[in-house]
Formats: sequence, C-alpha cells, structure tokens
Amino acid sequence: MGSRRAPALIWVPAVLVALAMAVPLVYLVLRTAGAGAGIWDLLLRPRTARIALNTAGLALAVAASTALLAVPLAWLTGRTDLPGRRWWATAAVLPLVVPSYVGALAIVAALGPRGLLHDALSPLGIERLPPIYGFGGAWLTLTLFTYPYVLLGVRAALAGLDPALDEAARGLGYGPWRTFFVSTLPQLRPAVAAGSLLAALYAVSDFGVVTLLRYDAFTRAIYVQYRSSFDRTLAAALSLLLVVFACALLLAEARVRGRRAAYHRLGGGAARRARPVPLGRWRWPALCYCAAVVGLGLALPIGVLVWWFGRGLSRGDALDGVLTGAANSLQVGLLAAAAATLAALPVAILAVRHRGPVGVAVERMSYLGYALPGIVIALAFVFLGARYLTPLYQTLPFLVLAHVVRFLPQAVGAERTSLLQINPRMEEAARTLGRGPLGAIRSVTVPLARPGVTAGAALVFLTVMKELPVTLLLKPTGFETLSTAIWSATGSGRYAQAAAPALALIAVSAMPTILLVARDRDQPHRRSRIARGDG
Amino acid sequence: MFERDPSERTDLWAVYRRQLNRRAVMRLVAAGGAGLAVAATALPAPWAVAQNETPEAEADPEADPEADPEAEETDAPPAGGSPVGSAGTLTIYSGRNEELVGDLIARFEGATGIDAEVRYAGTGELAATLLEEGDNSPAGVFFGQDAGALGALAQEGRLAPLPDELLERVAHEFRSPDGLWVGVSGRARVAVYNTDLLAEADLPASVLDLANEEWRGKVGWAPENASFQAFVTALRILEGEDGARAWLEGMIANEPVNFGDSNGAVVRAVGAGEIPLGLVNHYYLYEIQAEEGELPIANHFFPAGDPGSLINVTAVGLVADGPNAERALAFVDYLLREEAQTYFAEETSEYPLIEGVAPAADLPSLADLELPEIDLTDLADLEGTQALLTEVGLL
Amino acid sequence: MSAAVSAMPSPPNAVDANAEPALRCAGLVKRFGTVPVVDGLDLIARPGEVVALLGPSGCGKTTTLRLIAGFETPDAGTIEVGGRLVSGPRCDEAPERRRIGMVFQDYALFPHLSVGRNVAFGLPRVREREARVAAALERVGLAGFDDRMPHELSGGQQQRVALARALAPEPAVILLDEPFSNLDAELRASVRAEVRQILAAAGQTAVLVTHDQEEALSLADRIAVMGEGRVVQAAGPEEVYHRPATKAVAAFVGDAEFLPGEGHGRRVVCDLGELPTTGQADGPVEVMLRPESLRLTKPLVGTLPGANATVLARAFYGHDQTMTVRLDTGRALRARLGPYGGIRPGDRVHVSVRGGVLTFPRETHGPMPEARRDPSGS
Repeated sequence: MGSRRAPALIWVPAVLVALAMAVPLVYLVLRTAGAGAGIWDLLLRPRTARIALNTAGLALAVAASTALLAVPLAWLTGRTDLPGRRWWATAAVLPLVVPSYVGALAIVAALGPRGLLHDALSPLGIERLPPIYGFGGAWLTLTLFTYPYVLLGVRAALAGLDPALDEAARGLGYGPWRTFFVSTLPQLRPAVAAGSLLAALYAVSDFGVVTLLRYDAFTRAIYVQYRSSFDRTLAAALSLLLVVFACALLLAEARVRGRRAAYHRLGGGAARRARPVPLGRWRWPALCYCAAVVGLGLALPIGVLVWWFGRGLSRGDALDGVLTGAANSLQVGLLAAAAATLAALPVAILAVRHRGPVGVAVERMSYLGYALPGIVIALAFVFLGARYLTPLYQTLPFLVLAHVVRFLPQAVGAERTSLLQINPRMEEAARTLGRGPLGAIRSVTVPLARPGVTAGAALVFLTVMKELPVTLLLKPTGFETLSTAIWSATGSGRYAQAAAPALALIAVSAMPTILLVARDRDQPHRRSRIARGDG
Repeated sequence: MFERDPSERTDLWAVYRRQLNRRAVMRLVAAGGAGLAVAATALPAPWAVAQNETPEAEADPEADPEADPEAEETDAPPAGGSPVGSAGTLTIYSGRNEELVGDLIARFEGATGIDAEVRYAGTGELAATLLEEGDNSPAGVFFGQDAGALGALAQEGRLAPLPDELLERVAHEFRSPDGLWVGVSGRARVAVYNTDLLAEADLPASVLDLANEEWRGKVGWAPENASFQAFVTALRILEGEDGARAWLEGMIANEPVNFGDSNGAVVRAVGAGEIPLGLVNHYYLYEIQAEEGELPIANHFFPAGDPGSLINVTAVGLVADGPNAERALAFVDYLLREEAQTYFAEETSEYPLIEGVAPAADLPSLADLELPEIDLTDLADLEGTQALLTEVGLL
Repeated sequence: MSAAVSAMPSPPNAVDANAEPALRCAGLVKRFGTVPVVDGLDLIARPGEVVALLGPSGCGKTTTLRLIAGFETPDAGTIEVGGRLVSGPRCDEAPERRRIGMVFQDYALFPHLSVGRNVAFGLPRVREREARVAAALERVGLAGFDDRMPHELSGGQQQRVALARALAPEPAVILLDEPFSNLDAELRASVRAEVRQILAAAGQTAVLVTHDQEEALSLADRIAVMGEGRVVQAAGPEEVYHRPATKAVAAFVGDAEFLPGEGHGRRVVCDLGELPTTGQADGPVEVMLRPESLRLTKPLVGTLPGANATVLARAFYGHDQTMTVRLDTGRALRARLGPYGGIRPGDRVHVSVRGGVLTFPRETHGPMPEARRDPSGS
C-alpha cells in the first residue's frame, strides 16, 4: 500500500526471521551436496516416484476433504439456527488438540481389524470391516485431525462477510442454496485455500499417521533412511524433494487464493450481523453430520484413551510425571507461542503492507519448513546448535527457537489474515497524529489485529504441545513433556501408560482453544466493523 | 564422601531441575492458565548451567582410558553400594526406552553417585544426532537398541575404544572386534504364534519354510524394524545374497501382513487372532501380555542354527572425545555387572550376556540355543540389506 | 446550482495575502512506474485559507494529498509546511513530523478506542490533555461523547470526530480527502456548512480534495483546479466559475455550452449573432455560454442579437428548470430558467445572451500551462 519503504525495525527482524527459517533448507543443501553418486540411484528408483505420487495423492485428498468437511460445519455453526450451535462451534474445533499419532492409535484401536467396532459388530455376523490400513485410513485420520485448520479460518471469514452481498444474490432471484454457492462460497475461497494448505502441508510432513496406518509416503521413507540406514545424505535428498513438493502446493494455493489483496470493507454502509438461516427439517441431518464429525474426531480418541486409562488404573499404573510433564509442556508451548507471535509480526506486516519481493519471499520461506518432517528440522538444529551455537544447544531457548521455525507459518497466516482486514488508513491516521511507524503499529495495528494474533498464538501453542521429534532431540536433557511421556509409553507398547499424559495433553490444549472460540463468539464483528458512515 | 571438584557446576543444574519440577507443579496447581507464560520467562535461565564440560573432563588423558587410574578404580566392585570414584554428571543418549531402562539407570545413579542425564529417543535418531553433533556432543555414552546403530557410529569414527577388561565379560560374538562397542543384553528372533490357531506340530522347522504356499497370508512381519533387518542381514550371510532374495520374494508372493516397523503390533495381531504367526523378537510376548493380560500366544525358537533364531544385542559405546569419559566407563561397567544383567533377565525378559546370570525362567538358556554361525559385526552391513529390501520393494 | 456560489457566507477570517504560506508545493512530480500521476504541481495555501483541490477522478489530487502528508515520496519538487522544508532533495520528513492533520475519506477512526481516546491520540500526555479533548469535541458539537465507541455514532458524527481528532494537535495544515463522499446528499450540505464554520472558527489552514465542484465552490476560499497532474487554475470560486482559464476548467466547473465563433477584438460572431466578449478575441474561437446566462423569449422577427430556436426538452427541478433547445442553425443548447413561465417542448423561442461572453482560442484542449493564473491571485 504505502510506497514508503518499510522501517528498519520491521524489515531487519523480518529478514532475521527469514534467515532462521532458512536453517533447515541450508542444512539439507549442505547434506545433499555431500552425497555421492548413490543419491541418483535413490532418487531415480521407481519407489521414489511411487511415494511421490502417494504423498501427492494424500496431500490433495486431505486438502479437498478437509475443505468439504469444514465448510458445511462453519456454515452450520456460524450462519444457521442449528440447535446448540455454540456448543458445536467449540466441539468442532477441538479435534485439533488431539495429537495425530494418538488419533491414529485410537482409529486403529477402534476401526482396525479386531478393533472395538469389529468386536461390537461381530455378534451381528459382520466379520470383515473395510481395511483401515493404507490410503483410506491415513486419509480419514489426517482429515479428522486437520480439518479444524480450515474450519477456524472459514468461520472467521464468514463472520467478517457482509451479509448484504448474500442479500443481493437473494434479490437477484437465487435461492438460499444457490446463494451459498454463487455468493458466500467464492468469498470464502481465500480462507478455504489457506486452511487447506495448512492441512495439506501437515499431511505431507506428518509421520505418525502414515506409519501407524501403513501408508507409504515421503516422511516414512525419510524416517527409514534415518532409522535403519543411518543415512543422513539420502534422507536429506528425499527431504529436498519434499521441499520441491511443498513449493508446488504453495503455488497451487496462491492460485486458488486469487489476487485479492484487501478484505477490509470498502464503501459506505456498516456491516450487519447476518440473520441465522432457519434449517427447518434439515435440522436433523445437520445435527447428525456435526455429531458424526465430532464423534469421530473428538469423542472416539477420548473414548479410547479413557478406556485405556481405566485399564491402566485398574492395574495400578503410576500417574507420576504427568503433572511435571504438563507444567513443562505448558512452559514450552507458551514460550514458543509468544516467540512465534512476535517473530511472525514483522513478517506479516512486511507481506501485507509492503508487498515487495522481500516480503513475499520471507512469507513463502516460512511455509517451506512447515512441509518438512519434524526429524529434519530437529537434525538441522542439532547441526546448527552443536557445531555453531554450543552454549545454546539443548537448552530451553534453543528448543523454543526450533519450534518457532517449525510452526511460524501458523502464526504468520493468522496475523496476515487479520492485517488484511485492517484498513491501512488507520495506520496513516496514527502517523499524522504524531506516531512513528512503530508507534503506529503498536497503538493501532496490533490492537486491531489482536484476534488474528491470539488465534495464531493459540495454534502454535497447540501444535508445540503435540510436537515430538524436535522436542526429543533438542529439549534440555531430562526435561520431560507430555508428548515425550506419550512417546515413551507407546514406544514400549504400553498404551494404558500413554493414556494419562495423552488425556492431560488434550485437556491442557483444549483450554486455549475453548477460550479462543468463546472470544470469537463474543466479538463477532469487532474486527470487521470498522465504523463507516451509516447515514 | 563425594570427591567433588570445586569448580563443578553441574550439580547446580541438577538442583535447578529438581526446583523446576517442584515449582512447575506448584505453578500448575496455582496459576493454571496463561499467567504461566510470565512465570515461565521469569525462571532462571537453564542454559546458564545446562551445558558444561568440567575442567576435569577436559584435562582427561584423551587417548587410552585404560591409562586412566580413575578408570581402573571403577573396575573395583562397589563397596556395599556406596558411590565410587567419579561423582558428577554423565549424559547418556539412550535409544532404549525409558520404560525399559529408566529404573536401571536410577540404580546406576544410586550405586555410583553419578548423576545421569538421559536423553531418550529413537536409536536411529540418536545415531543421526551424534553424527550431526560432530565433536561437540554433550553425550558421554550411547546406549543403542541394536548393534547396527553402534556399527554405523563406529564406522564414522564416533566411538572410542573400550578397555579389554570390560569387553572380555561378554562372549566375543556379542561385541565389536575392534573393541568399539559391547553387547549388553540379547534379543532372540522368534516366531510368535497363536496357540488357538496353531498346534506345536504345525510350527515350521525353519524360517525359510514360511515362504512356502501353506503359509500364504498367515504371517505377519515388520520389515522396517531394525531387528528384522538384522535378521535379513544374517540371512544374506548364511544363505547368500541370492538365497536371501529368493526367500524375501517368496515371502512377498505369499502376501504377509506388513506392520511397518512395529513388532508390538505384530504380536498384538497374533494375540487377537488376525494372523496365526509373526516374526518378532522374543520379549514382545511378555510386554504385550503384561499390557493385555493372558493371550493365547507363545514363542517358537527355530532349532538347529536356523537363521530365524538369530540373537541380536542391545549395545553400548563410548562417544569419541565425549565429556566425562571415566563416568561413561563407569556406566558401561555397571551395565556389565551382575546387578544390571539380572535386571535385564527379570525386568525386560532379555538375555543376560555375562557368565553366571540366567535368563527368565521359561526361556531356553543361551547355551541351549543352537545359534546360527554369525559374526554380529557383519550385521553392520545394513547398507546391503537396505539395498536388497529396496530392490524387492519392501522399503 | 448557481445559487451555491453565494449561498455561503463569505469567510469570517480574512486571509492575509502577504503572509508566509502555511503550505507551499513547488514542481511536485510523482510517477507510479513510468506513468506520471502528479506532474509539476504548484500549490500554495496561506494561513487560515481553505483551498480546494478540484478535479476529475484520476487527476492526481489524492496522490498530491498523500505526498503532502508524507505517505508517498515525490520524485521531484519541494514541499514546505509553515515555511519549513519537509520534502525535497535530500529531505523526506516522516509524516508524524510534518505538523499535518488529516481527515480520511473513510475517517479511519480507531474502532478499538473511544471517541475521547481517538481525539486524545495525537495529543501529548500532559495534564491538560483531558481539557483539550473536551475543547476539541466541544468545537465540533460533540461535547460529552467521550465515552462512545466510533461504531455507535452516525456518519455525520464520525466525520466530526475525525475532524476534531485532526484539529486537536493544532497542525499547521489540515488535509481533507473527499471528506463528504460517504455522507447522504441531504446530510452532506449541513455537514459541509458545519465543517466550514469549524475550520473558520479555528482559523485553520486546510487543503480539501474533492471531485464535487459544488463542494469546492461552496467551501473553499480558493480553488485549485487540477488536470493531468498539475494545477490548471487556482483562484477564488467566483473567478474560477466566471472566468475559467481553459475550456476544460469551464466544462468541469459548472455547466457550460460551447459554440464555435469568429473573434473580432472585443466582439465575437457565432450562431447567436454578434456578442460582446469579456476579453480580447481574434480569429477562430470557442464561445463559452453558462446555461443560466441564456434568455428565452417569444420569437421575434428583427435584428435583435440572438437566434430563433425550437424547445426540445424540459427538466423541472423546483428551484429552477432547464430547457434544451435546437437553434435553427441545427445546434442544441441548454438554458437554465427560473421555475416560472409556460414554455413547453415544441414551442418556438428566441435565444439571447446576458452580458459579455468568454472565449477560448479554437484549438484549446485540456490544460494550458500558459493560461494558468498566478497562484497568489485571489
């Protein structure tokens, strides 16, 4: 917008953040450069093409299914008279707090061959269930635990939409359903694209789900290289392929998002709150839909965990370590959320307000790391820390730094969306009233972007709480978190032992999520209703 | 009591950690929510004390641990469990799970007065970490789940030689010929089978028989698991490259159920009756039964030096140029004492590797097992096994 | 429409023509890419003066305002505020240091702050801040609104809060960017009058950007008409209206009809016969006719100046009406009459002109830099 150059206090930190974001990429290039000729054998073997296709298929399928699942949920809980819609609005976001490896374990326990569902159905003579392992199971599981990324964004976008546009469509003779497709949906496109991108990148980088559900994807191949070949070079080469892959996803998202740069309301007339659409007879199918999604994504894993927990308790398993783990997880999660929020701010401001090549590059750079499996980020930081930042290596601040690099896009995305909705004239007004560029950001931009800032912080918090590979390798030695406790228990096959920390993790992560959704509800138009003349 | 260097600051870290945990609990109870962020940032910076190499460690005669009089001292038996020699901290990278070895390490701390800081993670991830850390690793010792990872580290020059006195406690087939690592406990490859679905008479005499038509769809395996790959490596050595390939291809044609890298999942599936038989390590049966209660499953040891009954080892090695070499030696020493070996026999159902300690009651003794003629060092050739597994399409 | 010219009281604050200008822009150039949007603009505002930058959309007037405020950096030229250089070669003062106040088209009130805190935003944190906020709100007639939130106010009230906020720090110049475009037509007139009074009472120098000539004519002490990135004419409202510097200015400010004619010194011959001119005219010229200067009477036979015509259409506005007539020579003209009289479409009429007419050389199109008036002439 403004053609004045970004102040140094914005672009210098933004470039520093970009440098930190480049650490994994530089590491991968260094590692791959050290490879011999064997690398081409590895990259050109048929299996590489197969896992590339598998990964692409999974990413696209997850992107599509999360959108299909989330948009109706967002609309039902945001724009209709669905019974108990506030309750559903909160519950539908909560599958986000279930770590995907825990979710995958629960899905296998419930829907796998000889699982709970099978046990329940076998008296009815049903002996064979559709196979859960492979593409179907991985797809289902990833969809169930990543659709909230789309839901959160779409719901915010829906709340910020001007109902007048839908009313205009109705006035032009469109029925309620067609209005949704011709007017509402196209306006939600950027939010859907951004959310689906996060879900797809998550699917690409996730290791737990594809392993537990036995689907041959890139991350699985990368882990095999580390785990059984002890071959860092080939793993790095595969990871670089994954980066190329992520670039393709980013380009696709940029295309879908379109070229709209500003979403703040233009023109006069105040935004009004939309009147809820009466569902009538459709109420019951709608309720069944919400119940099915929340049931599979939230009730099922919690149910399985509680069942395991009960069995553990009845055998007298100890619960020690859960409190310490919870406190440590909270500490890391909150620090990383705060740091990521701060680090994302200059990047988002640069990308939105000074849309130049630097801003775009920095923003895009942050997403590339997001597609990499955690082990790659972790080893990149092992390399950096042990060799060049020895005093910081395996300390809390260094762990937080690695988490920030891994999850920054979540904060950047949320802040970016909020900034786009802030009229840049606000900042200019602050400048003419005597505030410097940073003063204007502090006194106007940040308070107005608060919904996005807090949403981004909450997302980072949630994902850091769940994170495992980076935590395992970079935490201070002896520092146990809930996720390491779950890993430790499941690693030796003791699921009952894993249940207590897993339930604690879900409970602790759910708190900010519930607060976040509640805030959203209380101030539906605070951010979009920038007062304009209304006669 | 403690022989402590006045400049030793590592104990501060331990104190801090205990304080942190206590405080953390109190904070959790008292504050609960987001107010924690403030409290968390106000804590003393752990990085100030987390990393250090004591001057003592730096002054270590780097070359031969045997020349170190302190190392000699650790070889003396502990006097009534009272701490000996080198009190202070030791960082252990453990690829073995905390559930399995956490108690053992606590006993080691009690016996020696050494404060063990353990980083638990996957054996492969920790090996990769040690390689990335280069000369700056804070780890003194690496305790891995299989000999292969230690072989890979040895090959990259990341392990320091162990004194003969320690090496000689373990039979030569369970240690590195270069003296760079030593086996700690043994894990036998077996076929776990469902006793409701298979009678003893139905069991195969050799693992090679599983490639026959009669076992179509009846076998579960975990080809990404390191133990399985060690077995394939043994197969390559015993049956030749072509023999191993023929067996793998025969197995694949027989459509076994693939459980990725999880032996536990194989045993569970066998216990649930999903499949009659699975190729796993012997001790998973005990773990799963502890978890699930009695299941209709039993271990089948292949007789007569069959490659299917390979015994692989968990192993330990000193990190080259690692800090606190004498404490690291004390740890290796402890693992190879009767106390620790009994722990493996009783708590993890693994095979003890030193003379005079017997395995768990219902296991055939190590001496009674007719093991395949194999040198565990050769199992370090995972590269070739990976290539083969890749070639047949399993990786 | 013509009534607007004299409907407003003349400004109570007399502008001192010799005082040091509160704002002086000289030779401003701003290009976006290779396209010059502002192209050699000169502008002066004297202390206490309200200057309207008037021009069609896309002529660069908002960019000019943003250059003055410091949101854009000019490619050439200088800007002085209160006699101090704020932008020029090797000088680019940040917006917050320019002593410029701004009222935005959409007001840009801070939605997270109350009215009082919006107004206090630009004030130093001193004890009398409260009092200054109260005074500023009092001045715009919103005393006691301190605790309201912006979205609780009507459009007119928001506009006055924006004005109070901009005025409170007592800037050297206040800039208003299309300040009335978001208001309803009927509200616009009254808010405009209020703003006029508030600015006058504060003795505030102001530059107002508008594409609405009525707004410019009624509000400004002086109008700078812009075309293609520069000021074509800067003069008092009456002068701009009655003596536009170019045909383009004439066409943009108020309604105008043009007839080709032949100049002969102080007279011109055209379809309406021989008419007196206000200036020297020679050779082929365009004759400018304001619709309200045309007189329609019963058709006459004789040699009176003017021409006979047929009424084509009539539009009745209540306070006046316009007639479209076709001269017998075939040319169509519009005439504005009072609301009385029974002329109807189809009637035959005689068209004549009141007073002298203004002429432009025939080839005159668009801006004519050489025709620009002395900016200080007011």
